[in-house]
Amino acid sequence: MFELAIKIVINGLTSSLVYILMALGFTLIFGIMRVVNFAHGELYMVASFLVYVLVGSLGWNYYLVVVLAAVAVGLFGMVLERVLFRPFIGRELNGMIMALAVSITLQASAFILFGSDEHSVERPISGVIHLGSVIVPRDRLAVGLIALVILAVFYLFMRYTKAGLAMRAVVQDEEIASIHGIRPKLVHPLAFGLGAMLAGFAGALMAPIYTVYPYMGSQPMLKAFIVVILGGLGSIPGAVLGGVVLGLTESAFATLINTTVATMVSFGIVVLILLVKPTGLLGR
Amino acid sequence: MKPMKFTVKFSVIIAVLALLPFVLRAPFLTHIGVMMGLYVTLALSMNLMLRIGQISFAHGAFMGLGAYGSALFMMRLGLPFPLAFFGAALAVTLLAWLVGQVFLRIRGVYFVLLTFAFGEIIVLIFVEWVSLFGGSNGLAGVPRPGLFGYEIQSRDGFYLLALALAAFAYASVRALYRSELGAVITSLDENEALTRSLGIDSRQYRLLTFCFSAFLAGLSGALYGHYLTLVTPEDYGFWVPVNLVVINVIGGVANPIGCILGALLLVPLPEFLRDAKQYQVLLYGILLILFLLFMPDGLHGVMEKFRRRMSGRAK
Repeated sequence: MFELAIKIVINGLTSSLVYILMALGFTLIFGIMRVVNFAHGELYMVASFLVYVLVGSLGWNYYLVVVLAAVAVGLFGMVLERVLFRPFIGRELNGMIMALAVSITLQASAFILFGSDEHSVERPISGVIHLGSVIVPRDRLAVGLIALVILAVFYLFMRYTKAGLAMRAVVQDEEIASIHGIRPKLVHPLAFGLGAMLAGFAGALMAPIYTVYPYMGSQPMLKAFIVVILGGLGSIPGAVLGGVVLGLTESAFATLINTTVATMVSFGIVVLILLVKPTGLLGR
Repeated sequence: MKPMKFTVKFSVIIAVLALLPFVLRAPFLTHIGVMMGLYVTLALSMNLMLRIGQISFAHGAFMGLGAYGSALFMMRLGLPFPLAFFGAALAVTLLAWLVGQVFLRIRGVYFVLLTFAFGEIIVLIFVEWVSLFGGSNGLAGVPRPGLFGYEIQSRDGFYLLALALAAFAYASVRALYRSELGAVITSLDENEALTRSLGIDSRQYRLLTFCFSAFLAGLSGALYGHYLTLVTPEDYGFWVPVNLVVINVIGGVANPIGCILGALLLVPLPEFLRDAKQYQVLLYGILLILFLLFMPDGLHGVMEKFRRRMSGRAK
C-alpha cells in the first residue's frame, strides 16, 4: 500500500513538472495578451522536431540542443506575436481563432515535411534507479530535475527582475500598468516569447521520452488547458498548483483504474470548475 | 427588397439546384452537393452561436449525437426514418436545453473551453461505451433512409434531402435574423446590458439560439450518418467546430449568405485533395490566417464592398 502510494506520487510529480512548464507559458500568454493559445502544443511539437533533426540526424549534443530549441521556439513565438496576434489585442475570440489557424498550419506543415510516422530520438540517459522496491527511470528523473531548475529560474525572473515585475503588473491590470510607463508593445512579445520558450523546453525535454510526430502537441496542450482551468486562467501560482493536482490525480486514477477514466475525471473536473468558479482555484 | 422577391428568387434557385444532378449526371458533383448541403446547415448553426458571441465547441458532439441517435433509433428500435431523424435531432435539442441552462451563464473564452471539454467527454463516451456506440470502430451498416415507402439509396435522393435541409436552415436563419427576435439576439452580443435594461430576459434568448443551433447540428449529423452508413467517433470531435468556424470566418459572419460562400469555397477542397489531406489542412490554416488579417469580413464583406463601389460609380 505504502509502495503504491510512493509510486503514484513519484509518477505524478514527474508528469506534474512537465505539465507546469506547458501550463505556465499558456497562462502567461493568456494573462498578458488575453489570447487562448491553441497553438501551444504545436510550439512543443516544433521544439521536439528540432531535437529530432539536430540530435537524431546531425548528432549534435543533446543538452545544447535543448537550450537552442527552446530559444528558437521562443523567438518564433515573438515573431508570431508581432505578425499574427498583435492585431487582435482586446478581441479574445478572434485571437483564439488566429491561434487555431496557427495550430493547424503548423501541424499540417510538420506532416508534409516529416510524414505521419512516429520518430524516436535516442535517450541521452538510460537505466533505472531503485528506491526501495519502487523503480524510477533515470531519464524521467533527469527531466524532472531539469524542469525544476527551469521553473526556479522562471520564478526568480518573474519575482526579481524589472521585466518580471512589469509582466506581473500587466496580468493584474494592463491599464494601470501602462499609466506607470509599462509599454504593452514590449511586454506582449516578451510574454509570448517566454511562454513559447517554456513550451519549447517541455517539447525538447520530452522528445527522447515519447515519440516525435506532427500531432504530438495535442496531448500536452490538453493537459496545459486542464491545468490552467484548474488553477485559474492567467494565474501563475494557479498553474503550479493545477499542475501538481492534475499530475497526482491522473497518476492515482491511472494506477488504480485506467487512463481513460483518468482523462474523463480530469475533463469532468474542468466542467465542474468552469461552472462553479470559472476563475479557477487561484484566479481572481 | 420586397419579401416576395426573396421568396420567388429563393424558390427558383432551389428548384434549379434540385434539377441539377438529373441534368449533369455527374455522381462526383452530386456527392459534393450532398456535403455542401450538410456543411451549409452546420455552418449556419455555428453562425447562430457567433451571432450571440459565443463560439460553441460542443457542436461536434451535437452533430455526433444526431448521427448516433438517428442510426440507433432505426437499428435498435426499428423506427421509420423520418421519426428516427427528427427524434434524434429533438433529443439533441433537449440535451442542449438541459446543458444550456448552466453553460450559457458562462461567457467568452470560458464558454469555448467549457463546450470544448463537454465535446471531448461526449466523444470519450462514444469510444468507451462499446455496447451501445460500438467503440472506436463506431456503428457500421447504418440503414439507408426510407421515405413514403421508398428506400433512398441513390446519391440523387440524398442530394435532394441535403438540399431541402440546407434550404430550410438558410430560410429559417435568415427569417430569424430579420425578425424582432433576431434583433434581440443580435443585440445580445452588441450590448447585452442595454437589452436587459429594456426588460428582456437575455438568458432565455441565448438558450433559444443555442437550442435551435443544436437542432440544426443534430439534423445534419443524422443525415450525414445515414449517408455514409457509418458513424465513427472521430468524425465528431474537435475538427467539426474548427471547420465550421473556418467556413464562417472565410465566408463572412455578418450575413448567413457567408455560410454558403464559405462552404462553396471550402467544402469541395477535401473531396479534390482526398489523397493529400494535409495540403487541405495547410490551405485551411493559411486561408484562415490571411482572412483574419486582411479580410475580417470574409468573402461576403468583400462582395459588399465591391457592390457598393460599383453602385457608387454608376451614379
